Amino acid sequence: MIDIRTAEELLKKALSMAPEYGFDEYEISYSSGTSMEISVFEGEIQSYERSDEQGLVFKGKKNGQMASSATNELDEDAIRYLLQSASESCNVLDDEDEDFIYCDPDNPRLIYSQITDAFSKNTYSSFAKLGLELEKDIFALDPSIKAVDYLSISCDRGLEMKMNSKGLYAYKDSDFVSLFAEARAEKDGQVKTGGHYWYGNDIDKFDKEAFLKVFKHKVTDKFGGSSVPSGKYRIILGNEAVISFFSTFMGNFSSYAMQKGISLLQGREGEMIASECFSLKETPMLDKALIKVPFDSEGVMTTEKYLIENGKFIKALYNLKTANKEGIKSTGNGMKGGIGITNTEIIPGDLDLNGLAEEIGSGLYITELNGLHAGVNTISGDFSLFCEGYKIEDGKITGPVEQITVSDNYYSVLKKISKVGNDIISEYMGSGEFFAPSIIIDDISVAGDK
Amino acid sequence: MLNDANIMRIMEAAMSRNADFADIFIEKRSTSSVGLLNGKVIKAGAGCDSGVGIRLMAGTNVVYVYSNDNDAESLIKLAKEAADALKGGDKGMIKELQEKSFSTPCDIKIDPMSVKKSDNVDFLRRSSDLALSYDPMITQVAASYTASKRMFRVVNSEGLNKEEEQTRMRFSIETIATKGNEKQTGRIAPGSMRGYEFINEYPIDDKTRECCDTALRMVNAGYAPSGKMPVVLGNGFGGVIFHEACGHSLESTAVGIKSSCFTDMLGKQIASPIVSAYDNARIKGEWGSYYTDDEGNESSDLLLIENGILKNYLVDKLGGRRMNCNPTGCARRQDYTYAPTSRMSNTYIAKGNDDPKDIIADTEYGIYCSQMGGGSVDTTTGEFNFAVNEGYMIRNGKIEEPVRGATLIGKGAEILMNIDRVGNDLELAAGMCGSISGGVPVTVGQPTIRVSSILVGGREDEEA
Repeated sequence: MIDIRTAEELLKKALSMAPEYGFDEYEISYSSGTSMEISVFEGEIQSYERSDEQGLVFKGKKNGQMASSATNELDEDAIRYLLQSASESCNVLDDEDEDFIYCDPDNPRLIYSQITDAFSKNTYSSFAKLGLELEKDIFALDPSIKAVDYLSISCDRGLEMKMNSKGLYAYKDSDFVSLFAEARAEKDGQVKTGGHYWYGNDIDKFDKEAFLKVFKHKVTDKFGGSSVPSGKYRIILGNEAVISFFSTFMGNFSSYAMQKGISLLQGREGEMIASECFSLKETPMLDKALIKVPFDSEGVMTTEKYLIENGKFIKALYNLKTANKEGIKSTGNGMKGGIGITNTEIIPGDLDLNGLAEEIGSGLYITELNGLHAGVNTISGDFSLFCEGYKIEDGKITGPVEQITVSDNYYSVLKKISKVGNDIISEYMGSGEFFAPSIIIDDISVAGDK
Repeated sequence: MLNDANIMRIMEAAMSRNADFADIFIEKRSTSSVGLLNGKVIKAGAGCDSGVGIRLMAGTNVVYVYSNDNDAESLIKLAKEAADALKGGDKGMIKELQEKSFSTPCDIKIDPMSVKKSDNVDFLRRSSDLALSYDPMITQVAASYTASKRMFRVVNSEGLNKEEEQTRMRFSIETIATKGNEKQTGRIAPGSMRGYEFINEYPIDDKTRECCDTALRMVNAGYAPSGKMPVVLGNGFGGVIFHEACGHSLESTAVGIKSSCFTDMLGKQIASPIVSAYDNARIKGEWGSYYTDDEGNESSDLLLIENGILKNYLVDKLGGRRMNCNPTGCARRQDYTYAPTSRMSNTYIAKGNDDPKDIIADTEYGIYCSQMGGGSVDTTTGEFNFAVNEGYMIRNGKIEEPVRGATLIGKGAEILMNIDRVGNDLELAAGMCGSISGGVPVTVGQPTIRVSSILVGGREDEEA
């Protein structure tokens, strides 16, 4: 791995060579990552992975067209390859929408370091000790647990440095620790699986007791389930399912999708698109977020904003290119060559999970949605998904259900949300975290055994 | 690139402690792509990556380290770290390196990587223009082309020394039909390891029209009904049912730790007697093919199921150690950043005897799924789900109105036993499969088949 000074020299070299290839504006970034992961199986450290990676990405504008190229080789030949291939790409592009290389005159140097002592503390031996103990603890949870098929703990560190012809220097780094376990339980000839995860940047903050409590519930409470008759149900969509569901449709808030006519939210800013109890907000610097995002990939400062406030669609997400097309400012959502969202939150309500169940009286509590990569039409919003969950009878969560699907439409669901809970959890989604509680959705189609 | 002397120094470092086996995977990849939206070229890109993965084994314990720092001294240091981290095992010997052998499953006259981007653009624009003028309801057309070349060399402590080159290309056309607030898509996405002649011979005009027709029919379709019913699955990408419902559960990743629903089932009836299935990585020029797998073993044409009886699992080296059997040449990975695991290649249900028309004619009521979307499976419970992209009601032996928004769910073991008709129209289709060793190109396939009962998740009781 090259050191940061050498990387800086390499970037400067690329910037000095770019005009030779006909570029008018250009930007180059260096990124590097280090990772370590252990997996435990049957009382042994069954696998250990360790990696070092680095790479360069070039973006350049020539004849009004912007193209990019990437390599993980780091020498002058690699730079020539980057410039040459981006230049060739510019020659075939005929994008009507102008793209930009940018530097905020008020913030030409953007530096944000979030590196912790994770890597010095999270050594192979500390992970191995925790992993082996955790496997034993999982087996001790319940006699029905027959195997821990997957248990891994990993630590990742990444940094990115960027320079451009407009004078931008941007640097950010962060690290991330995650743990995932999945177990198999067997009872009366039935086999069930369940898993749970944890992430953070300090393994000492891993609360094993809390983790095991949820884990036990997710693995051992699924036995004896039956299907339910097909029909319309009031459901609680559990917090994990809320995150997977709403993140699947986030692309519809992209101004790019709207401008290209592939989001049904196009031209609907200011309109009530959801129930009044529902608000969705992006807070890039959210206090409780593990990784804060002060600026986006284009060097634009990020902003706090409601996407939906009390049911009303407030604002779409813009990068430099889509904002320019509409004559407005970027919202700081230019991420990795497209549009992305950082730390996002569904604003919680008052009721906890039991309160939501009481509110429903009878219905279903859906804890997991499967097949989200296939069973949804992200444009029309239609979905039909295999799910897991429990019955709600007399205001209490009771026995499990199995072999059912829920089907409806995303845009209809937004308007059918009748209560938002307060049992917030979070999940890391790539460019930020998604925080969400469980919610009640009225009148949703369930396919079961009739 | 690393020379043989340095490769052996890395090997010595890897085997310096208690590893009984080590392999070194050296890879170089390059890609070229263009993307059009509504006839305008909005994306063009290129990439080039290389890296090295070093795997050490002691019994069934594995250490995997990788880096794109191709400097020999850095890699030796990494290999030593790996050796220190490996637990258990007895120190193995390093055998002398065999002479390097080269293979390629490609069937290429015109190298896709050598074709100018402007030619790719012309091809995609032809389809795009045709689609946009096909019907006023076709409002968007996205088209893309990607070519990639992957060269890798595998050297192991047993003297194995293999090199393979794989050049693949794939393009996709996605048409969107709009009716009020409703948008539905039609999609084609063929892929191959043949040369650019594949594109030159491809009936792009007809396929584009079919793609538009799908989107137009679906945007006018009502919702699918819910409940258990007979389902006729069309040929080609319909094979995703077998890939999900059975294939993944036959991989040694699951079978080797006894977590698969098909563990200890060799020689037993796991499917209806009219079902035979293969995983054949050796079809020259096919999208999911390879001749040498990512741990250097020769790939195979593997009989998985014969007349309903389970004949073979897909086994990689680690799986072979766990299951006490030989690898079947199915170890694959997305790239050097993943350790290899058992994966599928070109996996299909073999052709049967029925005329597809008769299968429909003999079905009183059910759904005909002519185009499948993707899906997923829990290999332990066998529970799967997959989406229907284009479906029709069958009533009284006739294909009737189109229906949308259906998902098929069930348990693999039950579905396989419930296949009651197998057509004679076998076809393969390209796809990408994601699993613990990353995304790899695979082909799925089948003739038209009928499953006597699957749970369909739809919502018939609403207005379209």
